[in-house]
Amino acid sequence: MKTFVQVNGRTREVELVERLGELVVTVDGAPFEVSYNEVDAYGQVILLHKGEGFALSIEGDGHTTAVTLAGHRYDCALEDERERAANLAARAAAKGGGPVKAVMPGVVLELLVQPGDTVSEGQPLLILEAMKMQNEIGAPGPGVVVTLHVEAGQAVAAGDKLLTLKGLE
Amino acid sequence: MFDRILIANRGEIALRVIRTAREMGIECVAVYSDVDDRALHTRMAHVAVPLGGRTPAESYLDQDKIIAAALRTGAQAIHPGYGFLSERAAFAQRVKDAGLVWIGPPPSAIDAMGDKIDSRRAMVKAGVPCVPGLTDPVDDPAAAAEAAKGIGFPICIKASAGGGGKGIRVVREPGDLTSAFKAASSEALTSFGDGRVYLERYLDQPRHIEVQVLFDAHGNGVHLFERECSIQRRHQKLVEEAPSVVIDPETRRKMGEVALRAAAAVGYEGAGTVEFLWSKGEFFFLEMNTRLQVEHPVTEMITGIDLVREQLRVAAGEPLGYTQEALTPRGHAIEVRVNAENPFQGFLPSTGTISNLRTPGGPWTRLDSAMYRGMEVGLAYDPMLAKLIVWGPNREQAIARMVRAIQETNVGGVHTSLPAALQVLQHPAFRAGDFDTHFLEGLTIQSPEAYEALIAVGAAIHRHRLAKRRALAPSASERAGWTARARSEVTGLVQRAGTQEVSR
Repeated sequence: MKTFVQVNGRTREVELVERLGELVVTVDGAPFEVSYNEVDAYGQVILLHKGEGFALSIEGDGHTTAVTLAGHRYDCALEDERERAANLAARAAAKGGGPVKAVMPGVVLELLVQPGDTVSEGQPLLILEAMKMQNEIGAPGPGVVVTLHVEAGQAVAAGDKLLTLKGLE
Repeated sequence: MFDRILIANRGEIALRVIRTAREMGIECVAVYSDVDDRALHTRMAHVAVPLGGRTPAESYLDQDKIIAAALRTGAQAIHPGYGFLSERAAFAQRVKDAGLVWIGPPPSAIDAMGDKIDSRRAMVKAGVPCVPGLTDPVDDPAAAAEAAKGIGFPICIKASAGGGGKGIRVVREPGDLTSAFKAASSEALTSFGDGRVYLERYLDQPRHIEVQVLFDAHGNGVHLFERECSIQRRHQKLVEEAPSVVIDPETRRKMGEVALRAAAAVGYEGAGTVEFLWSKGEFFFLEMNTRLQVEHPVTEMITGIDLVREQLRVAAGEPLGYTQEALTPRGHAIEVRVNAENPFQGFLPSTGTISNLRTPGGPWTRLDSAMYRGMEVGLAYDPMLAKLIVWGPNREQAIARMVRAIQETNVGGVHTSLPAALQVLQHPAFRAGDFDTHFLEGLTIQSPEAYEALIAVGAAIHRHRLAKRRALAPSASERAGWTARARSEVTGLVQRAGTQEVSR
């Protein structure tokens, strides 16, 4: 089974094959010697790799997973082949646009754009207030505002769609 | 000394005060909001009084409820911690009027230092060096633009009633002044109920260095040297240390004297902090925090003085009992704040349930924490969960110890600021002591590439195991069958037992 794991913006193809109860692992086609040992039910894991043990803390649902190693935290996005194909198709269709989502819970204080507006990368789209701090949410890339999903004064949860952009031709 | 005090705060600072009070044989009354009904501070106090309510305004900021709780439980004094009501002169006065002792400076001193414009005027009068700028608030963007010509860019717009980094904007180009003025003013209005702002020159390569002072009620005052707090973002500190690498013994003595003069000018009592901006050998008064600071432990570590104990002693009327000559800084201390925020996404707040917790230990390693496994981290309060503090005989060893302590720590379920602190501590410029208050903003937080393949494999196997566990788990219909059988089994046993009971 192939899994595409994105860490720090780089994607690696991890293939896991179960042979006689043992996992045989390859990373980007090259064999990767590893043994995975669960310490407890709270995500504490020891990975043995080339004779060295690495104590990892792993949490997440299988699609977004956070791994902590010696104080360094890695946010991983995982896809299998089917999910990857579907996500690539969706990204291609949006031409670099797509929904802008709230990265944190908060209250929409002010909308700075209207549908039909052309925005440049980093241009403030709206102000989201969280923990009494006002945060400007910028455009992830150049595009045209298609839909606003929120209005001023509305409370949003992390992951909620704020507005949808269409990529420039 | 008091027999019983009330702590009008939550989180790690409530625990911090409870710990020293218990060591002194003083009983503690905790107060808590509905959100905090399971919080550690309620469990470590002798008595915990519910304030009700979910917002700060309904609980920790409700002056009536807190004074009533103190009177009802027979507390003799109120410790405000930091934040919340700690710098409200009106509250301090009400505490006194209720016949209770306020563990903090006199209300008049809080008032004098609370307004940045008034305090600046008082400091200029006392001969304390201040940053070039205006002491009067400006009414509108046009007036600000006019005033800016006299001060020179870059300019800093600040809230008159401000604190905690809110209502502050830096303007580098005249064209940005209008929008920044509006933003600062509206943020000041929502945060403090006072939209007045003023302007001052923004210093280049500034370092934030502050001096801890301690005064008793008999006119004795000492300073406990400086803390270096330049590693900050949006004026929120992340890494603090004592002493500062840029302060030599002569400057230390001078800064200490100026800090004592500043505090004495407002008739200070208790523990307080005089903040300075340091730029290229010069230092300027910034503001005075009339309370215990978050980063007070680094001072405790290098002086051996328990600041909360001193606060309680001074509030009870005891003299300090020592002079400046008795104090010497020893070694080096560093503190790192563990905030629930995501350093990989611009330090935005992170929420969740703490699912896993591994705390650091070992020599000269201190964790002031309110975290426990199962704790829900929401948006209701400040994102600071804990502070990690270490001491070492010198800066190099203290840094090595902090790196080790961070590597031991794991907080699962939320993002924390720890990876950012780790990156700061491992940065060559930080290690060389070469940084200013912009250092953290200029840093891109990213975990090292070397482990990426290993991490990817770990995450993939974790996903594989999750999927396998789901596949092997009994389906809903099977589970229902099991539960039904188990229930009838239990029912049967109960009936049999009942029958026996009857037949006996």
